[in-house]
Amino acid sequence: MLPVYLRVLLVLGAVAALALVGRKVKKEKILVEDAVFWVVLAAIFVLLALFPGIAISLAYALGFMSASNFVYLAIIVLLLWKVFSNSAEISRLKSKVNELTQEIALSQHEKDER
Amino acid sequence: MKVLAIIPAYNEEACLEKTVEALRATCPDVDYVIVNDGSSDRTAEIIYDRGFNGINLPVNTGLTSGFKAGMKYAQRNGYDAAVQYDADGQHLPSFIPTMAESLEREGADIVIASRVLSGEKVGGLRGVGSKIISLLIRMTAHTTITDPTSGMRMYSSRMIDRFATSFDCAPEPDTIALAARKGFKVIEVPAQMQERQGGESYLNMGNAIGYMARTCLSIIMSCVLR
Repeated sequence: MLPVYLRVLLVLGAVAALALVGRKVKKEKILVEDAVFWVVLAAIFVLLALFPGIAISLAYALGFMSASNFVYLAIIVLLLWKVFSNSAEISRLKSKVNELTQEIALSQHEKDER
Repeated sequence: MKVLAIIPAYNEEACLEKTVEALRATCPDVDYVIVNDGSSDRTAEIIYDRGFNGINLPVNTGLTSGFKAGMKYAQRNGYDAAVQYDADGQHLPSFIPTMAESLEREGADIVIASRVLSGEKVGGLRGVGSKIISLLIRMTAHTTITDPTSGMRMYSSRMIDRFATSFDCAPEPDTIALAARKGFKVIEVPAQMQERQGGESYLNMGNAIGYMARTCLSIIMSCVLR
């Protein structure tokens, strides 16, 4: 059985996450397309808290000692994946900023020559 | 043959002027472009006041990106060769014509000005690092480069196109290794260099070790992945 405190934690976390994401979207601090990840994650938390059977049966099917181990591991894997995809996104953004900087400098130089 | 010297400059007010004057006096046939990579010192003013040919990046983006801007300039203005030329006065302009001649005669894509071939001893930690990179290049690309960390390198128009368009192409030893492995012809000519003539180097002990580790890893990774 998923410990009660973990279930409460999950629901609290999900509610807090939803509130935070909602506020940022409202204040135009995050694009809706980027907020989707966090909303879905929060929804999964709520689902797991309300129906602990999902986590328990999955955990035992995969051979985990306890359901909480499984939940922690799943979240860690998910976050690692998210951090990596952020890293890739930053690479792309860096490359775009560099390209723009180069093009601004080159076209300014061309204008000055004329 | 139209040759362009690309001079990346980030906060190089101390020696930029002397370097460009020496280059112009020694090689009047060689064009140059200074890439001011968002310097916070007087680099931009020096370029403007002296009427130097320079492009000014509005923000600092790093050597790789600054050099890419120079390569785009070379590509758009139809240069046959571009040479990487330090703003700090380490490189001697008299070797540019020699390098260009070798590039043309041998049909090479990259010509490196090698201190080792001219009998100079690169000692200490720097020498060890250089030898390790040499060994890695010999193992992965089956090409012998005696002075892979030499910052004075000339590139053919094929390499100019590659630098100007690719996502990840730094003017560093790992690009030399990759190019050699992909069938670009890399040669070296003997050359001397000077000590830095002013300003500050970004290479201290910690940076040097980090640079070595990154370069070696990058050569190995690109051998597997690219």
